[in-house]
Formats: sequence, structure tokens, C-alpha cells
Amino acid sequence: MNAVHKTSHVAAASAAPILRTRNLTVRFDEFPAVRDVDLSIADGELRVIIGANGAGKSTLLDLLCGKTLPSEGEIWLHDRNITGIGEAAIARSGVGRKFQTPTVFKDMTVLENLQVASSRRVRVFQNLFERVKSGPSDKEIAVAERTGLLGSMKRKASELSHGQLQWLELAMVLSQDPKIILLDEPAAGMTAAETDKTAELLLDLAGGHTVLVIEHDMAFVRRICRTITVMHQGAVLAEGTAEEIECNPAVIEAYLGSATLSHA
Amino acid sequence: MTYRTASIIAYIVFFAVVLALPLVLNSFWTNRVAIYLVYSICAIGISMSWGYAGILSLGQGLFFGMGAYMLAMSLTLAVPDNNPVPQLMLLNMEPDAVRDLCCVTTGSFLWIPFRSVAVGMIAGIVVPCILAAGIGYVMFKRRTTGVYVSIITLAFALIGQLLIINNQPLTGGFNGLADLALLEIGGFEFDPYGPSAYYAVAFTLIVVILLARYMLAGRIGQVLKAIREDEARARYLGYDVENYKLFIFCVSAGVAGLAGMLFTLTSEFATPSLMATSLSISMVIWAATGGRASLLGACIGALIVNFVGSLASESATFQPVWPIILGLLFVVVVLFMPNGIAGIFKAFIERSGKAERFAKAELSAREA
Repeated sequence: MNAVHKTSHVAAASAAPILRTRNLTVRFDEFPAVRDVDLSIADGELRVIIGANGAGKSTLLDLLCGKTLPSEGEIWLHDRNITGIGEAAIARSGVGRKFQTPTVFKDMTVLENLQVASSRRVRVFQNLFERVKSGPSDKEIAVAERTGLLGSMKRKASELSHGQLQWLELAMVLSQDPKIILLDEPAAGMTAAETDKTAELLLDLAGGHTVLVIEHDMAFVRRICRTITVMHQGAVLAEGTAEEIECNPAVIEAYLGSATLSHA
Repeated sequence: MTYRTASIIAYIVFFAVVLALPLVLNSFWTNRVAIYLVYSICAIGISMSWGYAGILSLGQGLFFGMGAYMLAMSLTLAVPDNNPVPQLMLLNMEPDAVRDLCCVTTGSFLWIPFRSVAVGMIAGIVVPCILAAGIGYVMFKRRTTGVYVSIITLAFALIGQLLIINNQPLTGGFNGLADLALLEIGGFEFDPYGPSAYYAVAFTLIVVILLARYMLAGRIGQVLKAIREDEARARYLGYDVENYKLFIFCVSAGVAGLAGMLFTLTSEFATPSLMATSLSISMVIWAATGGRASLLGACIGALIVNFVGSLASESATFQPVWPIILGLLFVVVVLFMPNGIAGIFKAFIERSGKAERFAKAELSAREA
């Protein structure tokens, strides 16, 4: 069992990386929130980042999507250095970000949210005389079906449940056709049934998409994950399969603790 | 009746009323209503930037005033007595200055292009746009949002007003520009108290509102709405939020400049008071009362508030307290009817639409 996991891990790592970081560091008032992170995500990989509160997980995603500027280090998407080119340009180059608390356009319908997200014509003068279709395109229907929102297309986002909002944001990120999807605790605040559905959705995405997920819930992690990166105090502590991570003494001491392991 | 049908009917009725009014109004009221329609165009500008993109400019008067001054400069020079140099400059020049527009007072050369009325008319839109582009560029690239945008725009309007007041030899100072020639295009003269100026304003209003509606009903309106709802999300979807904001801010300033020119046309003067804080804030109140997210609503809001205001100014009791009433109106609108008159109209149409559907369903159920 262990061997199989290891092979798949090695195979994934040997594929051309879609996202690489080198010495990625950010300091807030001299305090390093993220330190010397060298990350390499292979094309089509589903990677989970775990770590205690304050370990720098969300800050790492903020760095990757341009929300925060790194103090040092570089971020490469394929063969392009995307460090410091701005959020919108990073998004256009193929990085999609889903936040922990869903950010969607509340006063617009689900369809309008998807239309704004899926349009790849983003410049002002491209859109000046561009009309809006009254119905959904095939692509919008497909992505709504995948996230279970097809029946809610005409509803305003403000009328959706919390779980549906999470899926709507995910659907919007998917509509961008990103090369890599960054998800911050996608199952946060969801009911058990919604969590199950989210896990299925993520497994379904893996392969077709490259996905980087932050997650707290180890049971959820074990269901979806192949490779785990553990962060501790801003730095990468360990990387490996779920089994390897759970047996790693440094990880146990720093993060998982005996209580979590007893469920394993 | 759907909301869409209802709003198309509302537009048609509004246009018909606006076009028919001069038939029943005397020359005094024709002029008054023409000025109210100018204010309506201002309110459309506010609705575009505030209602659609969430940019609350409290300095719209700066652009309005600039538009007014640009045309007023041309119309000043068109008066024979003001040739080759306007009277206001002769009164303020140094005794030994050359009596030529190039150098009679400091900066008087800036007036030279305005010998052509066409230049004045173009500058009335272009100069406010350029001004807005400069202010907007600094604000939006630095990601200034919300109340800070309001404060900055307010400050710029005050600076503009001060610059004009303090440069009397160049601008006419506190008195502004009055005693203007009538605007004449191709031998046709626009009479501020006749139907000609009125229809110039009315047609401009109709064209502006239809163009604005066409543009904002399209993709750009959708993106602006998205930016209003969640700026960061729009950015992470790949939109250059700053450029969109800059664009709508400039368009809104251009619309205000156009309105300013029409103000000069109908009022025959331009003064620094057009850039006063009170007028800029009044414009926001007009748009809020009518419904900031509705172009037609904002228009109607401006008409109603100004009409009531002018009735109040004729009553000795109400005239001194009118600013207080206006302030209270704003508070009431913000608290109890955030979508203004247009919002009430929409709610009414939707409710009656529901009742209609319900009655139909009941009828068909009974038949079955």
C-alpha cells in the first residue's frame, strides 16, 4: 500500500511542474509569515497543505494569487515568472483562487456571476459594446451542472445557502479555465452531506485540473489527497503521502498530536 | 406586465412629457424646466458612477463647472465689446500691459483657443474628462475606495472653486462670467427662454440616457456591477478593476461637463458657485431620491427635487429651511428607500405582476 502511494507521488513529482516557488518569503513587520517555501506542483496534481492556525497556509495562497507581495523569492507558472505582476494579470495567466469565506457578487444572479467569471474578454474597450446573453452558454450550463447549481441559475446569490455559495465561488473559479486552482478550506462551514459532495467534486476535478487545497479536517484530507505538504511556522515541515505524514515524528510533535492520530 | 415592459413604457412616457412640456409652459417656466433637465443630466452622470460602479463622487460640481466655464469663455469672446480682450481682463490688467489676449493678464493666452465656439463646446466635454482621468488615475491606481473617494473628489472641487475665485484677472473671479452672447450654431440662435434652448437640452438628455442605458445594459454594466459588489473578486477573475473605474468616472465627468455647457446655454452665466460643495451634494441627493441604480429614476429625482425646491423658494416660510428639508430628505431616502422612487416603482410592478400570475393560476385551476 505504502509503495503504491510512493510511486504515484514520485510519478507526479517527475511530471513537469505547473507551479514552482523559489525561496518564497514574506515578512510582516520583520515577522516571517512565510519562510523560504520551495513548492513544486505537477500538472494535474491534487495537493493538500495542512498546518496549525498561523502556520502560513492562507498567506502562502495570498502570495500565489498576488494578494500579498512577497518580500523575497519568485513564483513561476509554467515558464513565466508571475511574481508581482498584479492580481488581475496573475488571474489571467491561469491562477484561480477560491477564498475561505465565499466571495461572490451577492446582488447578481448565479448566471450573471458565471457570466462575469467565464468571459475571457476582460478589457474595458473590448466590453464597451459587448452585449450580454440572456441565457446561459453551454460552458456555463456544464459548470453549473458540475457544482449542482443548474436549478438555481436565476436566483440571486444572496438567496443561496452557505454551501451553495461555496460551490458558486468554485464554479466561478472553474469558469475561468485556470491552469491551477487554489482552494482555501473548501469544506469550511458545510454540513456533512455538503462536505461529502465537495470531496467528490474535488476528486472529480483532480486529473483534469491542478488543484492546491488548504484543509484542516484530516478525515477530509485523507479522502481526497495524494500528496500532503505540512507547514509549520511559515516553513515547509514535511511533504509526502498521508501515511508518511502521519508517521512523521516532527509532524506529530508540531501539528497533528496524539489525539488526531488516534483517529487514524 | 413584466418590469422590463413597464420600464420601457416609463421611458416613453417620460420622453413624451419632456418633449410636450414647452407647448404648455410660458417662457419663464420653459427656461426653469430646461435648467431642471440640465440637472437631470447631472444626475444621470452620478447614477452611472455611483449607482452602477459604487464610486460616490462629491466633486461632480467640478466637472459641471468646468463644462459651464468652457462654453462661457467662448460666449464671452463672442460679445463684440469683448474684442480683442474681454472687459473683465481690461478691469484687472496692469496699466502698461499689451491689450492682446496673448498677454494682457497672467495666463490670458489660455483663452485664445476659445475664440472658436466649436473649441469651447469640445473643451466642455474633453477638459472635464481629462481632469477626471488625472484625479481618477491617482485615486484608483492607489486603490482608494469608499468614503475616501468622496473626500478626495470633494477636496478637488473646492480647490477648483478656489483657483477660479482667486484668479480674477483670468477667470472673472467670484463674479464669474456673465453678459454672454447667445449660442449660435450655423446661423441658428439658441434662445434660453424659448423652445430652442429647451429642445437642445431635452434632445441631449434623451440621447445621453439612451446611450448610457445601451452601454450599461451590456457587458460593461455587468462588470461594473460586479466591481461594485466585490472589487477583489473581480480582480481575481482577471479584470483590471482600476481601468473600469477610471473609465466610468471619466464618462460620468464628461456627462457632467456636457450638462455644465447646457447650464451656460440656459442660464447665461457661469460662476464658481457651480463648483460649491452644496451643489455637488445636491446632485447626489437628486440621484438618491430618484434611485441611484436607475438612470431614469435619477433623472426624475432631479426634476422633482428641483421643482419642489423652486416652489419652496417662493414661500417665505419654506425658503430659509429648504436646505434642511433637502438634508432630511437624503437621510430618509438612505434609511427607508435605498433604491429611491425607481425602487418603489419596481417593487410595485413586481407585486402586481405576482398578483396577476396568481389570479391567472387560480382561474385556470377553477376551469380545470
